[in-house]
Amino acid sequence: MYKWSDEQVMLREAVRRFIEAEIVPHVDELEHGDLAPYDLLRKFFSTFGMDFMARDRFKRAIEKEKAIASGELPAEASTEEAEAEAMPTGDIMRDPNAVAFTMIPIIELCRHCPGMVTAMGVSMGLTGAAVMSKGTTAQKERWGLDLLTLEKIGAWAITEPNSGSDAFGSMQSTARRDGDEYILNGSKTFITNGPYADTIVFICKLDEGNPPAERKVLQFVLDKGMPGLEQSKPLRKMGLHSSPTGELFLSDVRVGKDRLLGGTEDQPAREASKDTFSMERTGVAAMALGIVERCLELCVDYAKNRVQFGQPIGEFQLIQLKLAKMEVARMNLQNMVFRFIETTASGESLTLAEASAMKLYSAQAAVEVALEAVQLFGGNGYMAEFRVEQLARDAKVLQIYAGTDEIQVSQIARSLLA
Amino acid sequence: MNVVVCVKQIPDPADPGALDPDTKTLKRDTKLILDESDSYGVEMALQLVDAAGGGEVTLVSMAPNNEVGGIRTALAMGAAKAILVSDDALQGSDALGTAKVLAAAIGRAEGTDLVITGTESTDGYTGTVPQQVAELLGLPSITFANHIEIGDGKAAVHRQTEHGYDECEVPLPAVVSVTAGVVEPRYPSFKGIMAAKSKPVDELGIADLGIDAAQVGWAGAGQEIVEIEPEPEREAGEIVEDEGDAHERIVAFLDELKVL
Ligand SMILES: Cc1cc2nc3c(=O)[nH]c(=O)nc-3n(C[C@H](O)[C@H](O)[C@H](O)COP(=O)(O)OP(=O)(O)OC[C@H]3O[C@@H](n4cnc5c(N)ncnc54)[C@H](O)[C@@H]3O)c2cc1C
Ligand SMILES: Cc1cc2nc3c(=O)[nH]c(=O)nc-3n(C[C@H](O)[C@H](O)[C@H](O)COP(=O)(O)OP(=O)(O)OC[C@H]3O[C@@H](n4cnc5c(N)ncnc54)[C@H](O)[C@@H]3O)c2cc1C
Repeated sequence: MYKWSDEQVMLREAVRRFIEAEIVPHVDELEHGDLAPYDLLRKFFSTFGMDFMARDRFKRAIEKEKAIASGELPAEASTEEAEAEAMPTGDIMRDPNAVAFTMIPIIELCRHCPGMVTAMGVSMGLTGAAVMSKGTTAQKERWGLDLLTLEKIGAWAITEPNSGSDAFGSMQSTARRDGDEYILNGSKTFITNGPYADTIVFICKLDEGNPPAERKVLQFVLDKGMPGLEQSKPLRKMGLHSSPTGELFLSDVRVGKDRLLGGTEDQPAREASKDTFSMERTGVAAMALGIVERCLELCVDYAKNRVQFGQPIGEFQLIQLKLAKMEVARMNLQNMVFRFIETTASGESLTLAEASAMKLYSAQAAVEVALEAVQLFGGNGYMAEFRVEQLARDAKVLQIYAGTDEIQVSQIARSLLA
Repeated sequence: MNVVVCVKQIPDPADPGALDPDTKTLKRDTKLILDESDSYGVEMALQLVDAAGGGEVTLVSMAPNNEVGGIRTALAMGAAKAILVSDDALQGSDALGTAKVLAAAIGRAEGTDLVITGTESTDGYTGTVPQQVAELLGLPSITFANHIEIGDGKAAVHRQTEHGYDECEVPLPAVVSVTAGVVEPRYPSFKGIMAAKSKPVDELGIADLGIDAAQVGWAGAGQEIVEIEPEPEREAGEIVEDEGDAHERIVAFLDELKVL
């Protein structure tokens, strides 16, 4: 793959037209916290039939799962295949167009509103995928479908005030057995969609009185409004305002086994979360591409039209260098996205180290390009009206969430030195 | 309920096109897109078929170089199939030549209850093709429709006028031209875009339609483009400096133009 296919271009044009007509007019409200992104995302989903597709795919996945359980279908098809099928992207992933169709909305939304991608990705991608890949059939039916269609908003909570990069090592949230039930305690922070989530995947350790390092990691599914669960107001932050981020406080939240993801304590939750990391990281390349494409477009236009010393600033070599570097970044990012599409369509997946390398480059490129865009615009670049300052503030988060740059470096190095 | 929609594929109006000095017409060698004027007809047709609870929408288009860019867009919106007429002999076709080709192609679609067109294209805008097609097919025709309702072998149509609309009725099959902006053309769904690729497009030449090359193209055109020249530069306007009486001078000026 070296360029977008005709269908992909058609989708891109349609999505871009929708975003410019329906989302761009609301960017200021989203930026100032007057509007949560969910209704706009739902409209986006229904306009392009993504909710319909998710429902259809869900139905087929569940039917297959039930057929396997009842012995109508052989079990060997079950594990991996059924899991892959149940993922938000699903069984269609062998078609490059289908893979590209999951990337294009990310790229297009990020041209204006990277936060909306985060809100959508965490709800459908992380939370929905956690339920669909690790949940029991009953749990998928209870929570999965609504998350995949964005009917319900999801949050995926691992980070804590004292546990970030070292997510599993320093985790303090606990589950204690109490008869057939569990009592959950702990606080989570920086949780995307935390303030509004209807469905929360809460990751904690099973406290059996053993040393924390030896404890099992468990995931529970919680609903908004459960006794003992408090969801904070959105936290104030540097950027990404269209994605509400908050804290969760759990004090003695009592849950039955029906909320234990997978229905058993013997789930490889650490591994499951690592798959999730890998998925998040490739998404970041698409996000960076959207930000960089938009910055470059705005900058080229500005460089042609802004006149200083009697000539367009694009005539100055120092400005040309900025534009050229932006174009190099854009090409690299696009190639990474193409590579991801090809790899996935051929039925393979990127290794964690590859995904980390992509994420590290993408996040740094987006920040560098967006800051240079601010510079190229001069004083206007520092003003909200010209949009590049928002993209620069938004881009910065790419180096922090889904594993910081430093963590990506160590993961790449570990794989090289292994 | 089977509806045929005539869709013109035109050079992207966002890209400034160029005139070919030899033919004195617009160059059409770039990728063509669906004329926005026809997206309303496609939407209207899809809604009518939906409301009827069955049937399908067939597209008919005449375009150079077997161009399908615009057709694919309409297929992605939900049309079932398309007939595309492309032939070197069609170069230079005028509106009547085009209408002959479209009428013959429409004849290929079976069980047609209604033919929908735009009122005028974005690039040619003679606004004459729909009535010519109707005449050639021997069908009744209503122009400037902003609302169509199907019932019982006829169509009730609101025909837009300067001050409102006329209520008309026409027996089916008929040719109805739809005004721009009367419905909101849907975005193609993800699924629709994927499906569009495999929907049938019947590509025909004029021989397939039994049309004689002498009747179409430059040979058959009843019109000739004698000369083309650049649009005259806009003349500098008159600047009214406000010395307290500017409003009176503007009123006097407009009065002189008889626009008040
Ligand atoms: C907008 C936003 C949304 C988020 N959404 C979610 C969410 O939905 N769910 C969720 O669970 N979390 C979420 N997070 C949390 C995010 O994943 C963490 O912030 C991130 O993993 C970093 O953890 P930390 O903030 O505790 O930083 P720390 O881990 O304390 O890191 C501080 C610094 O030390 C560096 N560092 C740490 N360890 C090492 C090491 N071994 N080697 C070298 N340097 C190191 C880091 O790179 C960083 O520079 C979100 C964060 C943000 C900003
Ligand atoms: C000098 C000259 C050279 C031309 N050369 C070519 C050529 O090389 N190749 C070629 O294909 N055409 C050619 N044409 C045809 C031209 O592009 C128009 O299709 C034709 O003149 C119709 O006129 P209009 O656009 O004003 O239609 P209008 O009457 O304004 O259009 C009204 C409606 O009719 C329908 N319609 C019109 N044209 C088409 C079409 N082509 N296909 C489907 N539906 C249509 C649409 O529904 C449209 O909304 C040429 C025309 C002229 C005058």
